[in-house]
Amino acid sequence: MKSLVIGAHLLRDDVEPVAQALAVGDLYLSAVDIENDQPLGDRELLLRVAAIRAKLLDVATFVAIRYGFTAGSAEEAQWKCAAHIAQWRRVLTAHREHVEMTLKTAAAAPRARPDRRDFTSGADYLRALHDATQSATADPELRAAAEELIEPLAIKHRWIHRDEKSVELAALVPRAQIDAVNAAGAALQARCPDVPFMLSGPWPLEVFADDHE
Amino acid sequence: MPEQTEELVLLEMLDHLLDRGVVIAGEAVISIGDVDLLYLGLNIVLANVDAVMRVSKR
Repeated sequence: MKSLVIGAHLLRDDVEPVAQALAVGDLYLSAVDIENDQPLGDRELLLRVAAIRAKLLDVATFVAIRYGFTAGSAEEAQWKCAAHIAQWRRVLTAHREHVEMTLKTAAAAPRARPDRRDFTSGADYLRALHDATQSATADPELRAAAEELIEPLAIKHRWIHRDEKSVELAALVPRAQIDAVNAAGAALQARCPDVPFMLSGPWPLEVFADDHE
Repeated sequence: MPEQTEELVLLEMLDHLLDRGVVIAGEAVISIGDVDLLYLGLNIVLANVDAVMRVSKR
């Protein structure tokens, strides 16, 4: 058996009994036990972990760890996470009452995705991929309205580029403001009815987990 | 909840599960596009898999 890790938490009670708690320093990892040969891409496992992740967030805010991180023992988890523990403690303490919300929208004028076959150099291809991703911008009307309606509710916000076809506004908001952010999303839809977007959350600390205050 | 909305919510949940959060060094094999794979190991190696394989065969 091994542990498939979900997130890092401040308190053991933030993890148990929803998931298994692995102590790492003075923090706790949430995890589920899986067989050593269990495929991580298994649909049932993905859905199970997604459901546990949502339940854990109901209990307390945690640092999300990218899916796929496994450890054979608490000791292995400890040494693999050692470099992160101080930062996690810092953000978990600062943002215990905060969650992330995400507004995802299609890029207004997406640049074509670079074709690997057009590049002899892998580095040039990666640079072109990066440039295409960074050039994605939201519809100006939607962006202005989001900045007016959602950003004032956020402690921090950031426009992020994940690919050349979309752009996202990630906002760190107090749990008490989740309903207000959703209401702002409805107002945004009324103001920009022709611009497709998706407001989702709450999410754990994903985008802001690496922030150094 | 309409079926289409349920599917969107599920997709968004899976997107956040699979594509967000802290990457633990030494644990990630990353695909970019449909061509290249990157191997990220212990914060030391960030290289095209082909290049890693070439070097490892020397």
